[in-house]
Amino acid sequence: MKKALRVSFFAAACALVLTACGGELPPSSFPGLSLDGSTAYLASNAHVYKFDATTGAEAWRFPAAGAQPANGERLPGPFAGSPLKFGDLIIVGGTIGTTGEPDRNVYAISDQNGQEVWRFSAGQTSREYVDGVATDGKLIFAANGDNVLYALNPTQMDGAQPKLEWTFTGSTNRLWTRPLVADGKVYLPSLDHHLFALDAATGKELWRFRADASIASRPALKDGVLYVGSFDRKFYAVDAETGDQIWETDGLLEGWVWNDATIDPDRDIVYVGDVKGKFYAIDTESGKIVWSSQLGGAIHGQSVINGNRIYVVSFDTHVYSIERGGTPDANGNMPFRRVLETGLGRRLASTPTVLEGALLVPLFDGEIRLTALDLETGAKKYEFPPKPAQ
Amino acid sequence: MGNIFDILLINPMTNVLMLLYGLLGNSYVLAIIALTLLIRLITLPLTLRQQVSSMKMAAMQPQMKALQEKYKGDPQTLQAEMRKLGFNPLGGCLPLIIQFPILIGMYQAIVRTLAVTPLSLLELGSHVYGFLPNISQLVPINSQFLRWDLGQPDPLFIIPIIVVVSTYFSNKLMTPPTTDPNMKQTNQMMQLMMPLMFGFFMLSTPVGLGVYWIASNLVGILQYYLTKPQLDRARALHAAPAVGAAAAGTGAAIAAASAKPLFEPPKSKVKVKSTGRVNRSATAQAQDKAKKN
Repeated sequence: MKKALRVSFFAAACALVLTACGGELPPSSFPGLSLDGSTAYLASNAHVYKFDATTGAEAWRFPAAGAQPANGERLPGPFAGSPLKFGDLIIVGGTIGTTGEPDRNVYAISDQNGQEVWRFSAGQTSREYVDGVATDGKLIFAANGDNVLYALNPTQMDGAQPKLEWTFTGSTNRLWTRPLVADGKVYLPSLDHHLFALDAATGKELWRFRADASIASRPALKDGVLYVGSFDRKFYAVDAETGDQIWETDGLLEGWVWNDATIDPDRDIVYVGDVKGKFYAIDTESGKIVWSSQLGGAIHGQSVINGNRIYVVSFDTHVYSIERGGTPDANGNMPFRRVLETGLGRRLASTPTVLEGALLVPLFDGEIRLTALDLETGAKKYEFPPKPAQ
Repeated sequence: MGNIFDILLINPMTNVLMLLYGLLGNSYVLAIIALTLLIRLITLPLTLRQQVSSMKMAAMQPQMKALQEKYKGDPQTLQAEMRKLGFNPLGGCLPLIIQFPILIGMYQAIVRTLAVTPLSLLELGSHVYGFLPNISQLVPINSQFLRWDLGQPDPLFIIPIIVVVSTYFSNKLMTPPTTDPNMKQTNQMMQLMMPLMFGFFMLSTPVGLGVYWIASNLVGILQYYLTKPQLDRARALHAAPAVGAAAAGTGAAIAAASAKPLFEPPKSKVKVKSTGRVNRSATAQAQDKAKKN
């Protein structure tokens, strides 16, 4: 009896140790925020939220709180990437969850009441939508982890689904980035090392640019030039018409670039960060690094410019503020300061947005999905969802 | 703490795994097998020590039982006598305990390198060594092997079954035979429980980890057969002492048996400390002194 107890105890202890490393994983895709006036839409883990961006008052969430799956089906979600407002619809993509089993659908939610209007499924071979969807005003472009880009026409229904206008199957690896749509073209980054340019109306490939490693960032476009980084630790300028490389950064960056670049509207500078936490200002003419700042953690969310400051969120829980026209030291290091000295307590991996003097920062994990920081004082303005009244 | 674990274990494993993947023609399975071999080689001294220690403990059972009988009401003397006998309760467990972090590190390295989710891909990027720039070009890893996705659990349960079978045979070989019926029963239970537990664990973990575990078991079995002659010799030496002698408390018989090193490592360069040293009783040491004088 004693022996059996001892053996059972040992087995239980081993099981505990082993299951500890197979336990619940943290959220695995990055939340996305979009604004329509003072209304915010946030896709974060299990829900898509609509709320007042000035106060944090919730209008609805999808699926509704306490919703139960019908007929053994799973609830929609998790969700990631910025929700897209398309007329009266909010379009979001289901993504990969903590269980590893993705939600393979694109959802259209009523802006009015948060109810599902339709869903698009490309079948069981499709996978996650990591970065939301894009549009040219007519079609919706949904890049999927099954290497395929789906172009949906929500104005024409094919049964319960929107009409599938065309697909692009030229990528040989996962499409984890929402494409950039401009001037009738779809610029599509792929983990197969390519940046593709497609005709938005037909899906025909116009050109492809190859980097030495995966491209997972959405390019920035200015004056016919695309600026995009790659996991090969280089940052490129590419001709948007031809796909020809104009320049690449001189020497390797510290880490992979998985960060959408931000173009300074007043200077010939493009800002970009890397996964080792280094933030760069790069000359758009020559590709030379003008200055850099070593921040504390991976930089994934796009930086935002407000007045004379650039705000950068980092995986180390901090929001950093850097002076736009500041002077770097002799080694080219630009000083920075933390907006909130204590950090936000959660990893930050999504693009923040400025509204009425507040920086709305989506949080990667935890029950609080977003914190609004007063840019004047650095204090928290509100947290979303608000804590229930005691 | 997590950071130290990252720096010392997970990061090196992640980078070596990536490096091997590149060197072995972008075959992730071969990379896992090669890393397993490397880990087994590094932990070889620990494994050998564990085998010798388990064998010693099993061989000592009759003596220990006799001592327990004799000093029933005197735990302090019992402890002292057990120590003289060479009893080390951690001797067999410690190497096993050390192998747990390696298993967990391997799990993390596999999850990270396969980068099935955006988070794991971002973490991979943060942890690849900057001085190995070509590693980044290998991403994303091709996780397909035959009909399996190495980053996902096996829906066919083939890998968990092979894990159970290989763990069973590996444990069966590694467990030294014992004459103590209680010990025998415990060993039998463990030989069944452990493989089942690992099999259960494999139902929800990536196939890649199962490949590591299977390779590790097979290498362990091979290693066992290579070191078997030495272990047999050690077992024969240690099984010799009379129970009565131990019970009488002289320790002379034990000392006689343990005067020679229990285990001499194979003629590789791996050093294994002679376990004979810990077994030498006061009497044997006195005999040595007398010889010197």
